[in-house]
Amino acid sequence: MSNQRQASSASQVPHLSPAELSYLYTSLSLPKNPIRPDGRSPTQFRPLSAETNILPGTNGSARIGFADGTQAIVGVKASVEKTILAADTLDSRSLAQHGDALNREGEEGSAAVSGQGEWVQMSIEIPGYRDDDALPVFLGEMMRESLVGSVAGGSEEVKEMAGGLKGRLVINKRWHWRLYIDVLLLSQPLAYPLPLLSLTTHLALLSTKLPKLKSTGEEDPFFDDDWAVAEYLYPRSNKQSSPSDAPTYPVRPPVTLLVIAVGENVIFDPNREEIAVADAVLAISITRSSDSENMKLLSIRSIDPPSRLTQPGIPNSENVNMLGGPPASSNQSGGQEEVGGVWRPRRGGVQRSVITRMIKTVLQKGGVGEEVIQGLEGVKVE
Amino acid sequence: MNSLPSIAIPGQRLGSTATYFAGPGTHVHQNAVYASIAGPVVTDAAPPQTRSRPTLRVSRVTDTKHPSPSAATATTYKSKPRYNTLPAVDSIVLARVTRVQKRQATVSILVVLDESTSQPLDQSGAISDKEYMASLLTSAANPENHSNSDDLRFQALIRKEDVRAVEKDHVVMDEMFRVGDIVRGSVISLGDQSFYYITTARNDLGVFMARSEAGNMMFPVTWKEMRDPITGISESRKVARPF
Amino acid sequence: MADRRRINGPPAGTRPPVYASLKESKTGVSERTLRQRQPTELRKFYLKTGMIPTASGSSYLEFAPSAALAAARSNPKSLIPPSSALKVACTVHGPKPLPRSVPFSPNLLLTTHVKFAPFAARKRKGHVRDTTERDLGVHLETALRGAIIAERWPKSGLDITLTIVEAEDDRWWGDAPDSHDASWGMLNVLAGCITAASAAIADAHIDCLDLVSGGVAALVSDDASTAPRLVLDVDPAEHRSIQSACVVAYMPARDEITELWLKGDSSRAALEKSDGRTGHEALIDGAVDAARGANTILTDAVRESIARSFAQV
Repeated sequence: MSNQRQASSASQVPHLSPAELSYLYTSLSLPKNPIRPDGRSPTQFRPLSAETNILPGTNGSARIGFADGTQAIVGVKASVEKTILAADTLDSRSLAQHGDALNREGEEGSAAVSGQGEWVQMSIEIPGYRDDDALPVFLGEMMRESLVGSVAGGSEEVKEMAGGLKGRLVINKRWHWRLYIDVLLLSQPLAYPLPLLSLTTHLALLSTKLPKLKSTGEEDPFFDDDWAVAEYLYPRSNKQSSPSDAPTYPVRPPVTLLVIAVGENVIFDPNREEIAVADAVLAISITRSSDSENMKLLSIRSIDPPSRLTQPGIPNSENVNMLGGPPASSNQSGGQEEVGGVWRPRRGGVQRSVITRMIKTVLQKGGVGEEVIQGLEGVKVE
Repeated sequence: MNSLPSIAIPGQRLGSTATYFAGPGTHVHQNAVYASIAGPVVTDAAPPQTRSRPTLRVSRVTDTKHPSPSAATATTYKSKPRYNTLPAVDSIVLARVTRVQKRQATVSILVVLDESTSQPLDQSGAISDKEYMASLLTSAANPENHSNSDDLRFQALIRKEDVRAVEKDHVVMDEMFRVGDIVRGSVISLGDQSFYYITTARNDLGVFMARSEAGNMMFPVTWKEMRDPITGISESRKVARPF
Repeated sequence: MADRRRINGPPAGTRPPVYASLKESKTGVSERTLRQRQPTELRKFYLKTGMIPTASGSSYLEFAPSAALAAARSNPKSLIPPSSALKVACTVHGPKPLPRSVPFSPNLLLTTHVKFAPFAARKRKGHVRDTTERDLGVHLETALRGAIIAERWPKSGLDITLTIVEAEDDRWWGDAPDSHDASWGMLNVLAGCITAASAAIADAHIDCLDLVSGGVAALVSDDASTAPRLVLDVDPAEHRSIQSACVVAYMPARDEITELWLKGDSSRAALEKSDGRTGHEALIDGAVDAARGANTILTDAVRESIARSFAQV
């Protein structure tokens, strides 16, 4: 019960005293150059080690470990499934093709078999949480939403990815792939595990291969059993100058970044202590737009900042031990004014201008989003 | 003053902190007092020698007559629906004894009396037990009391040393409380995760409704004795202000 | 998480059969309803508090059905109603003592349950909460926790339960799911839940910073050639395709957002040339405007509930 209650807030309620929280908040909200406890710059990420294709029994897998010892393993498995054509999908569009078709329906043609978001299943296992607790469900939905939502817009070279990941899973009208993405966190999370899980999933999907299809058209599908000719789920472009170069991907899976705002500052990849004093926490999913160099925004979710659940500090003026007045009983008083240096739990929401600034820091040219994607491109995926 | 609305809703700006103190049911944001619950706005004029600003509060009590503090007599008190009052330090509560142990008694809090009823008590005991009964009964409007289950009520402890102010060493809990007694107590601490702490170490605090072993309502005889009017048998209790 | 305690009906396929001839007919095509409201015009909704006497606070919210739905219900041409309209009931229980297993908390602990009635959506929902319902619960909790003054209620918990009696559609029911398809109806459901829960919390006299209300805006494209345009309070059944949508929980008195949920690609929005905003900024602003609109009704409903409790005295 207690776990479940805490789970819905961003990670656990921090065990920091009001004085520590106040100190941390002050140093993180210093104008222009915040001081982070581990000396990173606001946009710097924690160092991590990554490897891919570690599990031979999966279609694709990856492992990422942070220096603090938290590790995540992601395995991607795919299976072929018969597409259930419910009465509602057998709609006027397909019927119109039989009869005298409406022009609009005709031009979309038979190739427009579109995938369904339900074909991607994501499950997240976090030690200490039940799989139906709020945190794993919320994280899973968050990452799945941006995965199936990313539709590559009007790119000529990546025909396979025309309908996004969902479209890639279509084999023909009657068959499709079902993708199971299983995320395993190996230790109790020390910070909000979103960045770790998102990066690991990203790499695992890049390394995912599907067997080469030998059947054509509307036949029942059968596949080449030579694993060496299997095709990548996210196709790679062939124009490599030398085999040692990292392959390039016209389309990449999305990455979800965790961004917090403290005072005027926007801080990336917060650790547990930093997220504990955040005014606002956003999870922003981005991907590289295939037709331009710009970052594309896929989804934003606000996350409940745990600072709302912290214990307030008591100013000296009200502290009996410091010869101050008696403490006002909490239910009765109308709320005191803020005293400098005394921690108050954050309450209320976040201004629109702050949200805009957070998104801008991610999306702008040469911004953090681009940096992260470039960093991931540096990881050589086997 | 005249610009104050009679009814406030949450988020409504009531006035500047330069002119008002923020009382219950309000909060302060950017040097202004805002309402935080919906209800009638009440201005309590502060005693002139202590404060210079009146206190603004939004009442939880939906009483059409705004009780002015000077006229806070027992006659202005009337039965009215009350909402969600949490026990706080120094609030007077009515509680039912659920368990008596050697070192402590466990009670479950039935009613938290609001200030308008608990304040005159200190002056002269103007409120009779009948009015407490009324308070107990009308608090059925408080939805929490619809449930008979004790785990929906706040639990509290009366420790042996908090039962009375004198002869603390000679307190025998069994002679002070019995299960089912209704006790008037004062909250001394929010306590730990599950229990509040209550004291009855005052003349006006203690058992004020109890049934005898025969099941009849008893009347107080002395500060430590109550008597069954039918069988005439006396039982010992820590009685709240018998006279 | 299969529900093994009950004998459940089939998860889908309980709808009446749809005959092809019906769809090929002219009505099958013209039946698609288009938005008749202005892009900035919100749907009307009904909100009332204090419907459930045993709860410390409660409210009921119902969206006015779109014109086409109202017509289709009174004069059915097809077995499929063209769209549905949101109906939500919200109850607030508490503040009540925390269960013994929970450690001491200086703040009010909020628990939100969002549950669809089995018959709420076109596809039957089970009795066990599924991932969508849990996900909505977390969103709602984030939205409300920012508005509640939790330190006024130490050691106590507040249970907020929302029952969705009728949910919004994700698309026009005659359409096949397409590549832009996602659970757009959920955003409307969340916005409705936020407004309803806010009214119920005010009804329960829990301290709040402000009345928080939900609003939805979306970028829709009714045909493939034009760039998507911004509409407020979107009904997914009225549009061919939704590019991107956003729901916010907004407190007008402080101009603050407590919950933001944006999904979809908002980069290709058709904004006026003079408009310097990017797509997502326009979306968020639009959702805030929709929330402001909902707030006027919410305010009236809370005033009405106070007036009613006066009348009781």
